[in-house]
Amino acid sequence: MTPRPGHALATAALAALLVGCGGGQGDGDAAPAPSATATAAAPPAQAPAKSVRPLARSVPVGLRIPAIGVDTPVMSLGLASDGTVEVPPVTDDDRAGWYRHSPTPGQVGPSVLLGHVTVGRYGDGVFRHLARLHRGDRIEARLRDGASAGFTVTAVRTVAKADFPTDDVYGDVAGPELRLITCGGPRDGEEYRDNVIVFAELSTTKGA
Amino acid sequence: MRRTILSAVALACTAVLAGTAPAFADDPTPVPAAPAASTPSPTVAPTDATPEPSVSVPAEEPTRAPAAAPADGQVSVVPEGAADTGVAGPADTTGTDRTLVGTGAGGVLLAGGAVLFVVRRRRAATGA
Repeated sequence: MTPRPGHALATAALAALLVGCGGGQGDGDAAPAPSATATAAAPPAQAPAKSVRPLARSVPVGLRIPAIGVDTPVMSLGLASDGTVEVPPVTDDDRAGWYRHSPTPGQVGPSVLLGHVTVGRYGDGVFRHLARLHRGDRIEARLRDGASAGFTVTAVRTVAKADFPTDDVYGDVAGPELRLITCGGPRDGEEYRDNVIVFAELSTTKGA
Repeated sequence: MRRTILSAVALACTAVLAGTAPAFADDPTPVPAAPAASTPSPTVAPTDATPEPSVSVPAEEPTRAPAAAPADGQVSVVPEGAADTGVAGPADTTGTDRTLVGTGAGGVLLAGGAVLFVVRRRRAATGA
């Protein structure tokens, strides 16, 4: 006699429970997808057509990465007191930084630029979506003398900070290359476990 | 009587669900917060183009020779370790909070439904 209303009620309660729990996890996409740790993405590619002539030394002033909507000024970075590479300040509108003991973009050698993935209470950093880059994506560095260097992504790697590939990032290379570095992977408290590193090679240039 | 109970439960469910919605809405995902001009570090003007600008990061150049600018490229000073380019913010806790609220609300609903179900069965059994 009464089973129907009872079942209906139980069903309603269950439905409500599901709705409530679902809402709890719904838009929590803030956490960076625990990207497959270790190395992800393409292996270091073979050099593309190396017919592009290197550029003269000129400090980078801007960086554009159309695939992930980055268009940022570039500041200069050195070394921190502990010998690690300096990073841009944690601010609301953070920017990328060029490691000034590396070649300028377009010069022969690995030009190294860094940016934050997140900037604490300010939210996303300028390199928030760096891990989404793929082989073949374009990166453009604007230089102080008016020239610009266009790079093509050859590899995107996510590596544990404990196993940071120093030689791959800072080691000598035969042509003009670019390294973009940010953090990634799962968080361990306030810190990220991994670094995301984009490797790119010079593919086009525009003169000053 | 039965109808009254059902109406009351439905009302309670609606109220709980409605109550949870604002809890989710007040802290949207880590949207970059408004200025909040309390940055300890003096912001660096875009004069960073010069080779040796003073960066506002708490870091002074160690005494090791900067080796000037490598004329022909390559890295002149290799940094130690990995780059610390990510600072997790308080926004990260919101996901946990929301999960707790959602789970709590769901638990309340489930408990209410179970109690009501038992009461109704008892009444049916006793013929009340």
